[in-house]
Amino acid sequence: MNAIIPLALDTLSSAALIFFAAVGLTLVFNVLRVLNVAHGSFYSIGAYVGASLCLFIVSRQLNPYLSFVALLFSAVLVAVILGPLIESTLIRWTYGKSEAVQILITFGLFLILEDVQRIVFGVQSLYEDAPMRLMGSTAIGGIVYLNYQIALIAMAVLVVIGLRLLIKHTRYGRLITAVVFDREMAQSIGIDTNRIFILAFSLGVFLAALGGALAVPTSGVAPGLGADTMVLAFAVAAIGGLGQIEGAALAALIVALARVLAIYFAPSLDAVAPYAAMLIVLLARPYGLFGSITARRI
Amino acid sequence: MKLRTALSALALIGCLGEAMPAVAQTKPDSLGLGIFTFTSGPAAAYGMPGKNAADLMIEQINAAGGIGGVKIVPTYVDEAQGAQGVIAEYRRLSGEANNQVMIAALSSANCLALAPLAEQLQMPTVGWNCDTHQLLLDGKSKYVFRPNGNTVPEFVAYAVYLLARKPDVKTVAIINPDYAFGHDAATIFKAALKALRPDIQVVAELFPKMGSPNYQTEISRLTTARPDVVFSNLWGADLENFVRQAQPRGLFSSSQVVLALGETVLQRVPLPEGVIVGVLGDGWWMSPDAMANAQTKTFVGAYKAKYGEYPVFPSIKMANTLLYVKAAYEAAMKKNGGKWPSRAELVDAMRGSKVPTLTGTTVTRADNDGMVDQIVGVTVKSPNQSFPVIGEMVRYKGDALMPKEGQDPIGWISTLTPAFAASLPKPGSYK
Repeated sequence: MNAIIPLALDTLSSAALIFFAAVGLTLVFNVLRVLNVAHGSFYSIGAYVGASLCLFIVSRQLNPYLSFVALLFSAVLVAVILGPLIESTLIRWTYGKSEAVQILITFGLFLILEDVQRIVFGVQSLYEDAPMRLMGSTAIGGIVYLNYQIALIAMAVLVVIGLRLLIKHTRYGRLITAVVFDREMAQSIGIDTNRIFILAFSLGVFLAALGGALAVPTSGVAPGLGADTMVLAFAVAAIGGLGQIEGAALAALIVALARVLAIYFAPSLDAVAPYAAMLIVLLARPYGLFGSITARRI
Repeated sequence: MKLRTALSALALIGCLGEAMPAVAQTKPDSLGLGIFTFTSGPAAAYGMPGKNAADLMIEQINAAGGIGGVKIVPTYVDEAQGAQGVIAEYRRLSGEANNQVMIAALSSANCLALAPLAEQLQMPTVGWNCDTHQLLLDGKSKYVFRPNGNTVPEFVAYAVYLLARKPDVKTVAIINPDYAFGHDAATIFKAALKALRPDIQVVAELFPKMGSPNYQTEISRLTTARPDVVFSNLWGADLENFVRQAQPRGLFSSSQVVLALGETVLQRVPLPEGVIVGVLGDGWWMSPDAMANAQTKTFVGAYKAKYGEYPVFPSIKMANTLLYVKAAYEAAMKKNGGKWPSRAELVDAMRGSKVPTLTGTTVTRADNDGMVDQIVGVTVKSPNQSFPVIGEMVRYKGDALMPKEGQDPIGWISTLTPAFAASLPKPGSYK
């Protein structure tokens, strides 16, 4: 019984960060039908920008609560700059092409973005935990947890609800649904699909960058963060079913639970646990938990 | 027949050419050193102090005329490129005649990968940070040396110090990086505890991936286990991340924490008092021996002026390694009448040497393994520094915690007894 509370809290807080990393990937695939291998780079760029802004605030001895704003702002900044730029110059060329071509092009983008990060942010690790320190800690079940970790869980829930509301109850969401359902028909009735693609891709970038930025107060930022995140995001998207937002949330929980259980009871399996979970799910349901076979239009 | 004879003669000349390095050479214009360390990524937090120390020590050696009048020209290799890249760079640098010694490497994995290559290419290779006890195990190495000690005395020292300071320890948890260095350290530390206090229970063993940015789940696991002691040989940015994440969650107050490489983060993260830390050897720049050495004080002052922070023990290891190489060249030249030594003469000079360093003395055995003293202590506040320093120190003699040549290290550890531990110096005795 004593282990249940830490297991639950660790699973939920890990799942929150994993969800942010993966939901943008699955959203982009849902709308644009592009498997973006560079998605992890947006996560790490968001982390670098967030850490840099927070370090700036601390170094100038500004109000430390501005660091919360800085984290959110960094995700918006990354999305506004990189989203439209990359979608219109690179991703657009992959529409309708084979998956192999899409993967190769987005992999090239990933390598470019990794080097850009090294040039812009350097190769040393960054760390800034002001938001975490400001929020303090709470003892739950005899274990001290950071209030920031609990806030992350709430943030992830808000994002799931927010995305659901966006897709189901806003004009933008209905436009996205129309484009997802039948792109040609949507174009023929006058929907500007290019604009929808830019907005959807930018939203995906925003979600990834937000995940990276929110991770900063409780994690370090170093070269290679994007690659590690990308692999995990793909595992989550595969488990949930590519294109399924609620699937990404459940899959994030499964992956986090697998990893947490490994750390507690079989530490030697910690690194492989998420991928073992992916394998088991895909063997039982090859299209993921919420995915389905879709007919190909000839 | 004549053609065959000519071809044979050419082949013989080619073989002689290969053998040339065994004979003393003319003094080169410069001495090339290939220096392997991490200059990027999470490990750079440990690797860059090494590079900085190399830059400074080479600058100082060259300013004093170089080695035997020959200036040193370093070529740095970033180990972050991975083992394949490191091996390729080692081969490339070995192929250049000017490069005569390799200072390699930082990562245990790279040390083990490069050792057979060093023997194959007959390239003198001095492991500046090759602590893994798996290196030099067979005792047959001719060209690989390790003057800065190895993981056996390093981690046995922590076990001895811990038990001397906290004799009522009952439970221990371990969190080490998931590669050779981390697993070796756990094996050695546990073996020492088992030999000295068989009743101690290891309640958790975690090996997170190197470069992990987030340790929150591991910290929860450790605090759930409620161990008396948490031992870790995490290093670089991993150690910084772990300390920053563990401290607000109370790990340092609920358990006695032992950070084997904790000295490297004293100036970077606010460690609380009472954490057991050491320097994997004797490379503590504020030790009594270091402070009594004029060359050390000059080096430390110059390092602080140049880089804005004091050297950490990777810096001292690198500086000591360069002094070791310099001493070997000087000894070899003294032996051969002042001529520039061949690679074979150089390695002969290294073997069996006893070299004064910035922080003590390193003694190289016949199996090329080096012995240095081990300094361990706890973090204490200092009125003279803005960061905690090491206090209540002990200095264990290098040969006291070292298995004999050819002896299985883990087997030797199992022969240790509480009476042996009791015979060693006590915490606080090194002043």
